[in-house]
Amino acid sequence: MFRLSLNELDEQAYQIRKDLINLIYQAKSGHLDTSLSLVEVWLGLVNSDFYRYDPQNGAWAERDRIFLSEGHACPIQYMVNGLLGYYPKEEVFVTNRRPDSKFQGHTIRNLEYGFENSNGSLGIGLWHAYGAALELSSRVFCIVGDGEMQEPSSLGLLAAPHNLKPCGNYTLIVNNNGLAQDSAVDIGPLAAVCRAWGWHVIEADGHDWNEIDRAYTEAISDTVNPKVIIFKTVKGKGGDPKKEGKLGNHGKPPANDAEVAAYVEGLEAGRK
Amino acid sequence: MEIFGNQSLRESFGEALVELGNQYDDLRVLDAGTRNSTMSEGFQRKYPDRFYTAGINEPGMIGIATGLAMAGKRVIVSDMSIFLQHAHAHLLTAARQKQGLHLIVAASHTGVAVGPDGGSAHDVTDIARMRLIPDFTVISPWDSEIVRKSLKTALEEPGYYYIRLNRPKVPTFTPPSFDFKIGKTYKLKSGSRVTIVAAGDKVYTALQVAAELGEGIAEVIGVATFEPFDRAPIVESARHTGRVITIEDHISQGGLFESVAGVLAEDHPTRMMKLAVPRKYTTSGEPDELAKMYQIDKSALLHACVKFLA
Repeated sequence: MFRLSLNELDEQAYQIRKDLINLIYQAKSGHLDTSLSLVEVWLGLVNSDFYRYDPQNGAWAERDRIFLSEGHACPIQYMVNGLLGYYPKEEVFVTNRRPDSKFQGHTIRNLEYGFENSNGSLGIGLWHAYGAALELSSRVFCIVGDGEMQEPSSLGLLAAPHNLKPCGNYTLIVNNNGLAQDSAVDIGPLAAVCRAWGWHVIEADGHDWNEIDRAYTEAISDTVNPKVIIFKTVKGKGGDPKKEGKLGNHGKPPANDAEVAAYVEGLEAGRK
Repeated sequence: MEIFGNQSLRESFGEALVELGNQYDDLRVLDAGTRNSTMSEGFQRKYPDRFYTAGINEPGMIGIATGLAMAGKRVIVSDMSIFLQHAHAHLLTAARQKQGLHLIVAASHTGVAVGPDGGSAHDVTDIARMRLIPDFTVISPWDSEIVRKSLKTALEEPGYYYIRLNRPKVPTFTPPSFDFKIGKTYKLKSGSRVTIVAAGDKVYTALQVAAELGEGIAEVIGVATFEPFDRAPIVESARHTGRVITIEDHISQGGLFESVAGVLAEDHPTRMMKLAVPRKYTTSGEPDELAKMYQIDKSALLHACVKFLA
């Protein structure tokens, strides 16, 4: 169950996408298309009625944790945590990707701002999240990219419930947008492999609120096994329709006003 | 020189873990399938609920250890040093978490002192690798007393620590009353004609050679912390001896020689000699045999001092 109506969620998603387009155009660098693919997945999680957080006390011991392992998606993290009230979103616009800013090109851990982990190279954050889950009673979610699951270190995590112990409070969220930096990503038998290692596997459309709600509800209802949710998403979703789901836009900001206009036009056309 | 015992650094590490486990309820220990080599098995037997084995999975072990630290635990990881090379990106990302975490990485089986298992088991580049990671304090104890003292401090003060252990027995010459501080280098013997800067178990070798050279000849500086590196005692010694020899069970690239040379090049350019493992794939052999072959033993150091003083 969400705390907001679907209309309200749609409005949040619209605002966040608009902010992402402006933020990344202003910075002249950053991963817009990855961030756009995660808008509903991220908003759905933080707006779920089970999700515990306190923007006034980011280090609250009983908070649920969201680790971001595919660190290049940090613009969506920055905009969502601003929306949740950890800091004014203007601070992101003023300092994003600037020297010594709290909003680096990849996340730096900062509990006050709701950032659980410093990230960067792929295949690492999901282990941090698993280690934390081993000793916490809170729920731990970790967002990874589908390309990130090619890292041996990521595939190795799938054996952790068997080799270490199953964490019933751990949910791995795979952003399956099907596109990496220089090629398409086929996750192959990932779901079957996860099941074989003892994971509770859930597959859902990562842009459909009802599907997202179903996936998270099913995930938290199983407190015995670790979960993996494979969200089917579209890279660049809700922006320039000519770039949606197309290879070759990874980490490329809009180059000029005309390209921004194409993003905004696509965004407005899709507004519900 | 009074000798208080004869114990390998990994054995004193294993004993210290058991004591510290009693003192700190929030201590967690991890190993990657080598607990009977690193000696973390004593902790595992006494506190099985606070011990994790990651399986033969060094990156995952460092990742999980970092996560446990993020969950508020004091964490000590142990592994055979050479295998930690698998985990370098994870070590780099661990220290990037900042914000007061407690993470100690202890590596046993370093240097050619590992012996007959051969070159693939000799980690002679670990100090260089760990010096490359900002925020890691890099410690290379010279005897068991320093192992105990540095572990105790590292558990009290949050941060990221690397502790270099090794396999053979080493005489313990540090008295329990010695006021050891992480981040300090120590003048262990005074002399006026040559300075020997030594690290790890080579500190004992240096003290033996200084004794053989006779009173007042060789000054011995013991390095137990590479990062941060305490420059002053080395520069001060170089100023009055004018000659500096380094000795280490590690390659000179990124090791003790380059650490000392870097400091002296800036502060007091001084003639130097080095005794270090060559940058090549090393061979099987007994530890003493290899130390002799690679010219990092007592007789090589004595010979180098005599030559330098001639």
